[in-house]
Amino acid sequence: MRIEAHGIRAELPSGWEGRISRRQAGTLTGARTRNGTTEVVGEDTAPVLHMGNFALPEDRGDFGSGAVDLMGTGHLLVVLVEYGPDSVGTALYPTVSSVPRLTSRMFSSQALQRVQRGQAGAQRFFTMNGRAFCLYAVVGDQREVGAMATTANDVTRQIAITTR
Amino acid sequence: MAAVVAVLAVAVAVLTLLVLGLLRSHADILQRLHELDGGAEGGVNTAAGVSPAAARPAGPRTVSRAEVNTFPQVQAPPEREGFTDSRDLVGVGVDDDALTIRVTGVEHRTLVAFLSGSCLTCQRFWDAFQKPQKLGLPRDVRPVIVTKGPEQESPAAIARVAPSAVPVVMDSSAWEAYDVPGSPYFVLVDGRSGQVQGEGTGIDWSQVKGLLTQVQDDASYADDLESRRVSKYRADDERERRVDDELLAAGVTPGDPSLYGEGPDDPRRAAHQHDHEHDQPDERTRP
Repeated sequence: MRIEAHGIRAELPSGWEGRISRRQAGTLTGARTRNGTTEVVGEDTAPVLHMGNFALPEDRGDFGSGAVDLMGTGHLLVVLVEYGPDSVGTALYPTVSSVPRLTSRMFSSQALQRVQRGQAGAQRFFTMNGRAFCLYAVVGDQREVGAMATTANDVTRQIAITTR
Repeated sequence: MAAVVAVLAVAVAVLTLLVLGLLRSHADILQRLHELDGGAEGGVNTAAGVSPAAARPAGPRTVSRAEVNTFPQVQAPPEREGFTDSRDLVGVGVDDDALTIRVTGVEHRTLVAFLSGSCLTCQRFWDAFQKPQKLGLPRDVRPVIVTKGPEQESPAAIARVAPSAVPVVMDSSAWEAYDVPGSPYFVLVDGRSGQVQGEGTGIDWSQVKGLLTQVQDDASYADDLESRRVSKYRADDERERRVDDELLAAGVTPGDPSLYGEGPDDPRRAAHQHDHEHDQPDERTRP
């Protein structure tokens, strides 16, 4: 099964479902301090891809909050979040030709956006085709990190990103 | 005296005629009712030949679409036998998004609600889905709303009524795949088997929920029957094992010629039959 929108295409294996949506307007990418005053960098409605081998709830955040609460043994969530043009090609977002691979060593409970008992997460930042992304994966049961890292790579290998 | 007897005879004759007339009328009524009810297997022959009821094939009677009357707001059922095949849902959402919903190959069941943004009856369901926790759905049932695609349905109109906690997929091909006659329409899919468990419609959520309850009851009844069938198989298995043990104890092994008679005239078969006739009283008294 394939989904495609906003220059992102993903092939979903059997048992997986996914969604490519835009961040809700009003989502702040962050703030920066200049001359002692803090100013908002800007609103970002860049696309977000969510893929999971379980029923994704409607009420979930960019990095899977709401969905990770439902995850357990055998569950895997893969998230691709696009960042603004300011991030493209910076040190944190190195340019690559394909979505980076995840290894089992990258998974850690410390890497979770929202810590859940027994879960582990991993993330990679990259620039591809002139667009900056964060790849984020959550494993429902950290004892399965080895197998799940392989599955995550199988899924992310099928992701195609086009230039804007 | 003779006059009295004559009067009584006439009275009895008149009463007899009345009773016969009543019986004849009763029989006519019963026959008409019988014909309206579809007739009995094998049919009923009438003086004019075979009755229309008898001309129908035996077995369950198929109700044609023309014979079904529904509320004006409710879609008539599709004219087909059985359910359609299920399939996963792929389409676009109301927030400029693309999404897939897995219906088959999952542990849960999915209630696919085919709704429209323009039908008046659908509005009741859009309202009901605003609070999915109050729908009273079983825990293993996931509600999903499917509308026609953006080429036939206004995304803006759907966005105005779409609930926040229930996924909405705009996918015209799903309507064809599930052979949906119109909106509102509901299909319940079992994710494990991928089979459609039930489908139907109603004028409000309480009616649709009643259909779901019926499906649940039917499934429970089927499970009950299945469990009973398993116990019967065990009984057969035990009986077969006991017979094998007795045959082995008597020196009759698999492939023994005594197990295969050559025909009805085979003397060994006749002797075997004779033995069984003697065994039968014992079988009946065996606990």
